[in-house]
Amino acid sequence: MSTSSSSPSSDEELIFNPNPIPKPIDDELTLASLTLTESNGNGSVGESDRYGGAGVVLEAEREGEREGPSSPSSSGYAGERGSSSEGTSNSRIGDEDDDGIQEVINDHDGFVDGVGDSSPSASWVPGKRHVDEDDASISWRKRKKHFFILSHSGKPIYSRYGDEHKLAGFSATLQAIISFVENGKDRIKLVRAGKHQVVFLIKGPIYLVCISCTEEPYESLRGQLELLYGQMILILTKSINRCFEKNPKFDMTPLLGGTDVVFSSLIHSFNWNPATFLHAYTCLPLAYATRQAAGAVLQDVADSGVLFALLMCKCKVVSLVGAQKASLHPDDMLLLSNFVMSSESFRTSESFSPICLPRYNPTAFLYAYVHYFDADTYLMLLTTSSDAFYHLKDCRVCFILIQRNNNLAFDVTNKGSSCVATVVRYHSCFQPLDPANTTVQLWIQWLVATVVLLRSNVLSEVQRSMLEGGMRVEDLPVDPLPRSSMPHRLSQQRILTQSPEIFSESIVGIGGPTGLWHFIYRSIYLDQYVSSDFSPPISSPQQQKRLYRAYQKLYCSMHDKGIGPHKTQFRRDENYVLLCWVTQDFELYAAFDPLADKAVAIKTCNRVCQWVKDVENEIFLQGASPFSW
Amino acid sequence: MGCSGSVPARSSGQSGGLNNLENAGSSDAKNLRVKLVLLGDSGVGKSCIVLRFVRGQFDPTSKVTVGASFLSQTIALQDSTTVKFEIWDTAGQERYAALAPLYYRGAAVAVVVYDITSPDSFNKAQYWVKELQKHGSPDIVMALVGNKADLHEKREVPAQDGIEYAEKNGMFFIETSAKTADNINQLFEEIAKRLPRPSPSS
Repeated sequence: MSTSSSSPSSDEELIFNPNPIPKPIDDELTLASLTLTESNGNGSVGESDRYGGAGVVLEAEREGEREGPSSPSSSGYAGERGSSSEGTSNSRIGDEDDDGIQEVINDHDGFVDGVGDSSPSASWVPGKRHVDEDDASISWRKRKKHFFILSHSGKPIYSRYGDEHKLAGFSATLQAIISFVENGKDRIKLVRAGKHQVVFLIKGPIYLVCISCTEEPYESLRGQLELLYGQMILILTKSINRCFEKNPKFDMTPLLGGTDVVFSSLIHSFNWNPATFLHAYTCLPLAYATRQAAGAVLQDVADSGVLFALLMCKCKVVSLVGAQKASLHPDDMLLLSNFVMSSESFRTSESFSPICLPRYNPTAFLYAYVHYFDADTYLMLLTTSSDAFYHLKDCRVCFILIQRNNNLAFDVTNKGSSCVATVVRYHSCFQPLDPANTTVQLWIQWLVATVVLLRSNVLSEVQRSMLEGGMRVEDLPVDPLPRSSMPHRLSQQRILTQSPEIFSESIVGIGGPTGLWHFIYRSIYLDQYVSSDFSPPISSPQQQKRLYRAYQKLYCSMHDKGIGPHKTQFRRDENYVLLCWVTQDFELYAAFDPLADKAVAIKTCNRVCQWVKDVENEIFLQGASPFSW
Repeated sequence: MGCSGSVPARSSGQSGGLNNLENAGSSDAKNLRVKLVLLGDSGVGKSCIVLRFVRGQFDPTSKVTVGASFLSQTIALQDSTTVKFEIWDTAGQERYAALAPLYYRGAAVAVVVYDITSPDSFNKAQYWVKELQKHGSPDIVMALVGNKADLHEKREVPAQDGIEYAEKNGMFFIETSAKTADNINQLFEEIAKRLPRPSPSS
């Protein structure tokens, strides 16, 4: 151990949970008040020395580090990148920057301010970086946020930075800390070392550790570790535990071969995707009729034995349908879409892959059929039966047939139900079909459904919505109009914005009216949220990430049952005025200009809520919870 | 597989071998439709072989296959028959090994791929051959493919080893390069020639 020579610094705190049984988060905080201070390393056994050593490493890392946005000098460290096709060496690596190190020798190639980047993920290059690093590298030690997965025997499974195999010693150190505490019939949750927090999550034989100096609350970091674990379960199921029962020294890395990119993209999404802490999903804004048409298509598919059918655009839901009584947890949706979007091979051709939904059933695989319609829009059909894929595959064949033969599609569209005969005839050119056969019936069902999808232009509407974006704070209606006169389409809302009186106001303030910069509205009943599009002054990925971190903090403090539950919170600092409002039905998080007036801010929040209600049919998937249409 | 088996059975008389095909409704003497599965260690170039064959493309940035991808391609033979390959390109990762039966079940053709620069992948190929002999359809057509033939200066598996192993196991052997497209079409044409033809009866 490179660090074991250092003596433990005295200001570290070991926060023990005296109860070995895992408790809900709210309890942990109160219990954590039992704070033990290690007086010195000499009094303890070897493990304590190692623990102390690790603490010192962290202490050393603190130097010269500050959370990105507050220091204008925080640079875009764009060191080595993955093998991606991203050509420009000057583009920012959104996440890398802030969580990465600030000043490093090869800084020269990457300092470009990110202002103007529309999406924080736009410049992010997938894949693992800095594989050449290990715990002896200064650059590795300076990284702001590390994630590790290791086995209970101390074998590395995943590390965000550096080569896992080279980190065997470091992993063993982490394992030693955990087992030291476990030997005392206790469980380690958190170690604070100066600005650093070391958060531990123990899941049977799998240990997850986050070392971070990003000032995120403990609950957030722990939630991120939970998601990381969920992502692993999604790939392997919980039956992985059995491998460890058979062989405690089991090496899991070969089983996770090729999944680095899945984990790194999830970790990146902690910075830009509010779903990671809101535990809710978001929908692509669409006209109510369009979403219904998409839902009807999926329903037809679901009726033919699919457990879940999802049509998604990036990480936003277009529509989703589940079989009777089956419901999909927002965290599972997040992990699933992250898995699909980060695995390039899904884009190359239609695929069939086993996946596990940790919140649905962590012990069993489902089978996912994935097909991309265009660069961003994809269909996922999940079934419990591996055989079902042969039906699904055939469904897809029909889609190709239609795409390649517009005449047929036209024919089908115009003749309605009589299309089936046409289709059967058409398809007979290729293969004899028996219309009584159930496969053929499924096939025809799908075909008709697909035609609906095409006829209602769902796919083109999806693309249009992608281009147009969602709710913008500038478009917030100035005065609560009588509801009947409210335009219902978001796009019409936008046309309204062009009217002179609103325009005059929008140039006076920065951002939206009354200094509103951004908001997130989470509907508790629907498990969905809507986040306003980013607009100046929250324009750079760094600023966006900082805002999300502020929301994250707000979310944690609002949900801290130890001191809560709170209904409202108004918080002003040098960056923002943040206002949070929690009711039985919704949670609203809003960011304002730091000089915003409190009364005006509250009034604006009321208007935001009214606005969301007025357009809720377009921004939310209605009736998704019982999945009955 | 569900009910698909009944489709070919009812439609036209076909020989035993092709009855195994998934939804092989359209197979007749002139137009064959076969299920082909690719197996082999991760990183040997299975997807590259398929993409070269189906799309004529080669992408040097390796994209790890997840689960299995499905592609199809039809070729015409000189005797005016056409063969439509329904290709299951499986992921080589260890975690998917248990799922392989899902893909090779009912396959008429199995292409087992290794990398000529990696003896490990050759061992893995032999594992797949044994597995297919145990659990695959008895009349499956098997091909052993040594890929990355363009990297001959890094070769570690002599062609002779491949030839001998293939011969012993009644397989057809070829070395290919998805990068240079060398022998890719030949591989599939050769497979097509070896397919059992449905009897022209009924």
